[in-house]
Amino acid sequence: MKKLCHYLRLLGVFAKFSLMSVLEYRINFFAGMLAEMGWMAVKLLYVAIVYRTGASIGLLTADHILLFIGTYVLMTGFFMLYFGNLASLPGMVQQGELDLYLVKPVSLQFLVTLRRLDFPFFIPNLIAGSVMIVTGWRRAGLPVTWAAVLGFLFFLACGCLLAYSLFLLPYLLAFWTVSVGGIGDLTAALWDFNNMPQLIYNKWIQRIGTFLLPVFVITNFPGLFVMGELPPGMMLWGMGVSVLFFFLSRLVFQRALKRYSSASS
Amino acid sequence: MSMILVEHLRKEFSYYRKATGLKGSLHNLFRREALVKEAVRDVSFSVEKGEMIALLGPNGAGKTTTLKMLSGILYPTAGKVEVGGFIPWERKDAFKRRISIVMGQKNQLWWDLPASDSFYLNKCIFGVEDSVYRQVVEELADLLDVRELMNVQVRRLSLGERMKMEILAALIHRPEILFLDEPTIGLDILSQQRIREFLKEYNEKSQTTVILTSHNMADVKALCRRAVIINQGQLVYDGSLSDVNRVLGDRRLLSVKLSEPVKAESLRRFGRVREQEETRAVLELSGSRVRETIGAMFAELPVEDFTVTEVPLEESISIFYRKEAAMP
Repeated sequence: MKKLCHYLRLLGVFAKFSLMSVLEYRINFFAGMLAEMGWMAVKLLYVAIVYRTGASIGLLTADHILLFIGTYVLMTGFFMLYFGNLASLPGMVQQGELDLYLVKPVSLQFLVTLRRLDFPFFIPNLIAGSVMIVTGWRRAGLPVTWAAVLGFLFFLACGCLLAYSLFLLPYLLAFWTVSVGGIGDLTAALWDFNNMPQLIYNKWIQRIGTFLLPVFVITNFPGLFVMGELPPGMMLWGMGVSVLFFFLSRLVFQRALKRYSSASS
Repeated sequence: MSMILVEHLRKEFSYYRKATGLKGSLHNLFRREALVKEAVRDVSFSVEKGEMIALLGPNGAGKTTTLKMLSGILYPTAGKVEVGGFIPWERKDAFKRRISIVMGQKNQLWWDLPASDSFYLNKCIFGVEDSVYRQVVEELADLLDVRELMNVQVRRLSLGERMKMEILAALIHRPEILFLDEPTIGLDILSQQRIREFLKEYNEKSQTTVILTSHNMADVKALCRRAVIINQGQLVYDGSLSDVNRVLGDRRLLSVKLSEPVKAESLRRFGRVREQEETRAVLELSGSRVRETIGAMFAELPVEDFTVTEVPLEESISIFYRKEAAMP
């Protein structure tokens, strides 16, 4: 518990310093926000089309779809917050820049993956995602109870943990192969599978995305829970797979580190 | 008890050979010939508490690799190391709190923020108490003369100023053992001097144990009494700096001023002529022959004045750099 407080405090310092750093370059800060809003406009286009055509997919009305896309946008915000760290990992391995982090009495994985937080990307996604979720929720007439809200937030948290763990793994390959540009692009494409609810895909793709490469769990489970479409078994899976992948990422990170320590000069 | 104990330390790396050109690259895509490089082989030495030693050697000798193993960044292939009673590569938090490493080529400061922010981050990471932190920063900032620069973004600082800040950041948690890898690389003479003075004073005051690597002999001469020299991964010398020359045959340089020019042959009889122009000459001879040579020269040549010096340290050490191995 004391350790957790220590890490949360450090995370707070990282957040503050990242924000201070990025504010040093005002134009860049706003440009980053603008670029992210551009991406969001593309996502909103999907929403516009859904409403225009009045499409509904099975159980999902346009309002439900808005909720799912909102969850995806919010998650993208959280993911973009630390994604820069993952992307810079191969370079750090190549340049031997982990050296000075290795002598700090703090988890190296924590330092290396959460040290820089990108607020220009986070803020627009946070705002837009939240607005979309609240709007979709209310218009779809979904229950506004403590259980529903807390459950939604809980699966959101699971999704955050899973996204972090799942998408860290490919970048850890850098410790063995040094260059991972292609793998990075592939994972980005995987992430975008979530820009529509999983229910639009056929059964097999849904199964693969839920069990094998559980990307759907990240953004679909919170919404499915609120709709009452998440059976108990799936709830367990949502929690379990997040914890499982987190420990997997820890394990692979330790292995990768061993590799760094014995192979680099 | 020794603060640092190194016994039969060894480190191997594997790498691939690649022939030049595209053909070599294509060949490597399918079959790679793994080769092993022995970066450090069988190095042993120890350092006492409060001692400041120089770890010397040519580029690629294994100095940085050794320091990285001592600080727990790298695992060795074989051998035993104890630093402050810990095995470094176990990377215990208690160990990390006792050591620090500064590398002239790497930085830990946040580029866009003032150095004081990076100090504060280290304070949080190491859990240094507020009062201790304030005192340490004030003291070190005065010693390094960087008080006014603490609130300037790191990117606006000169290389020398930045290095001082890096050193300060590395000392926030008051380590007992400090590894310095080329701390003055690329710095101007004044900055070098300032950092040397600081390190000397800090070492005396805090009794910190220090291992310093540097290609700058001025650093080494000013700071260390003892040197450990490695070449091609092997220990070639471990002893006091002042003995380096003695070990290599105690050679002296005899500079003479003559009242009129003399022939080269007449000088050559007294020792190896290293320089000669008009009425000045420098001869190299063994320390045991200095007395008789001077006597004989005064008798036979128009000597006006003379001085005797030891061969410069740089030169003696470079002889070790060229040697294959084996301690004399």
